[in-house]
Amino acid sequence: MSKDVIVTQNVSKTYGKPPLQVFALRETNLQIKQGDYIAIIGPSGSGKSTLMNLLGCLDKPTSGNIFIDGNDVSTLNENELARIRREKIGFIFQKYNLIPTLNALENVELSMGFAGVDSQVRTAKAKKLLEMVELSKRLTHKPSEMSGGEQQRVAIARALANSPSIILADEPTGNIDTKSGDNIMNILEEVNRKGETIIVVTHNMAIAQRANRVLRIQDGVVQEGHV
Amino acid sequence: MFRDHVKLAVKNLRHRMSRSLLTLLGIAIGIMAIISLLALGEGMQQAVTGELSSLSDVIIVSTGGGGFSSFGGGGSTGGYFTQRDIADVERVQGVREVSAQLSGVGLAEYNGKTTILSLTGMDVVVMKLQYASQTLDAGEFFNEGDQNKIMIGYSIAHDTFDADVSVGARIKINGEKFFVSGIFGKQGFGGVSSDSIVLMSSRDFQKLTGQSNISLIYLRVENVNDAESIATTVQDAINENHGKKDFATATTMTSILQTVQNIIGILQLVLVGIASIALVVASIGIMNTMLTSVMERTREIGIMKAIGATTRDIMSIFIIEGMLLSSLGGVIGIILGVFGSQALTLILRSFMSMGGGSFQLSPIITITSVVLAVAVSLIVGVLSSLYPAWKAARMSPIEAVRYE
Repeated sequence: MSKDVIVTQNVSKTYGKPPLQVFALRETNLQIKQGDYIAIIGPSGSGKSTLMNLLGCLDKPTSGNIFIDGNDVSTLNENELARIRREKIGFIFQKYNLIPTLNALENVELSMGFAGVDSQVRTAKAKKLLEMVELSKRLTHKPSEMSGGEQQRVAIARALANSPSIILADEPTGNIDTKSGDNIMNILEEVNRKGETIIVVTHNMAIAQRANRVLRIQDGVVQEGHV
Repeated sequence: MFRDHVKLAVKNLRHRMSRSLLTLLGIAIGIMAIISLLALGEGMQQAVTGELSSLSDVIIVSTGGGGFSSFGGGGSTGGYFTQRDIADVERVQGVREVSAQLSGVGLAEYNGKTTILSLTGMDVVVMKLQYASQTLDAGEFFNEGDQNKIMIGYSIAHDTFDADVSVGARIKINGEKFFVSGIFGKQGFGGVSSDSIVLMSSRDFQKLTGQSNISLIYLRVENVNDAESIATTVQDAINENHGKKDFATATTMTSILQTVQNIIGILQLVLVGIASIALVVASIGIMNTMLTSVMERTREIGIMKAIGATTRDIMSIFIIEGMLLSSLGGVIGIILGVFGSQALTLILRSFMSMGGGSFQLSPIITITSVVLAVAVSLIVGVLSSLYPAWKAARMSPIEAVRYE
């Protein structure tokens, strides 16, 4: 029985004030276990991004509690949230979101830098991660000098840098050709097999199908589902 | 951590090279202005101090409460000192030497024209000291023991009589023949006005006029540090002799020096104040550049926050960026200031040489002004990047990541 990495209790997110209140997410109760491979699907505007932001500690719920590795993050301040993001969560974005002025190695090292990791340890780990995503020959390349698939692989390496509990991937293959996309998913699944929790937000059914568990969102309501 | 922030800041500045350079130039110009004006002011201080401090053991006692105004003019209105005053002054402890400047008028005749001139008699040693800084157009100072010799000012030589007077010429004063030993250069504005002076030794003066109207007393002290207290003692003693509270005013060279230095100090402050305006403009430039940079990097800031940067990390990155800009600008400004002060000095020198001044001005860049410039540029960097940094730091990561 593996432990829960994410638990949400009656989590709601609303925008505006009554009577013009809009529910982006309603009374959500979720349990996500260590090592899960989850796909979150739903049409645009359904609340996918809201859920992502909440699970990724980029945003706070209007009501309810979110526990990440047992920490109630709904009560934390800005800096404590930054620490949770740094230590527990690895983000992968649709548009890769690498820092344009830094090369591949520096991008991977960056979040370890924020975590205060010693620079030698950092460089060694970043090289290892880039080797894992088969980018050993691109260490000193800037994002603008790499293909989409390559940039996304750097982003995966960066997400793994601080050995997080959860990888949150928002449409990770949305901007990449099918073949490279497949490669990206293979890497993620490889990481998952090593015990990492992966949550992928997508509206690509082929991608969602690969997950062990599917959560479907419609109008801010989350339901267990299947593709 | 700090090193990472510096590295990030450097990369960002490099990435926007031309904009960084232009912003930096603003700071450099401001610092250059401050450095060169400070150097010039310091040079002036030193030049004036050098000139006056050779006379620092001299006290000048003049009549009237208005203080000492025209050096060597002797045109006092409050009566004359007496021999008793001189004797009293000589008795004051610490006084090394006392001499009196006598003044009166005489009837002078040259080349058939007669005119009334004011005459000044003084000790030869004092005369040489007092007019040491003045250029002579022709001739030389007469010496101790020389009789019937005079020094004359430029306008006596050229404008007073029908013909120009030259060195060696004979002028009859009160029927007595005097030989011109030296002619002072044209004084023009400022400094010791000697254009219409006729100088002779005290002995000649008394022999000629039979008077001893003492208009000024010069004394020199043993120890420069006692000058102020001796000045007070002398002043009190003379005032007591004359039964008036403000009959005499004793002025030390030190206090004149101080006054001059104060004036230069104020001048310097005003100049630096004006130069600071350039710096204010430059700091607005930094703020502007940084704000633009924050806007452009909204997405980047969001990413950094998403991967775990704290508010402090973001603030620190931007403040370091501002400080790098301004301190680099400061260093360039200091280098430019070294050249700028030389250029300013050359310009000023060419102005002064028109007035015939003899003093040598050269810019002096002190460690203090360099340290000050560096400190000011760092402060400017921090202050002007504070607001952009704060704006960047409080950006929400979701908004920032979503930003297209």
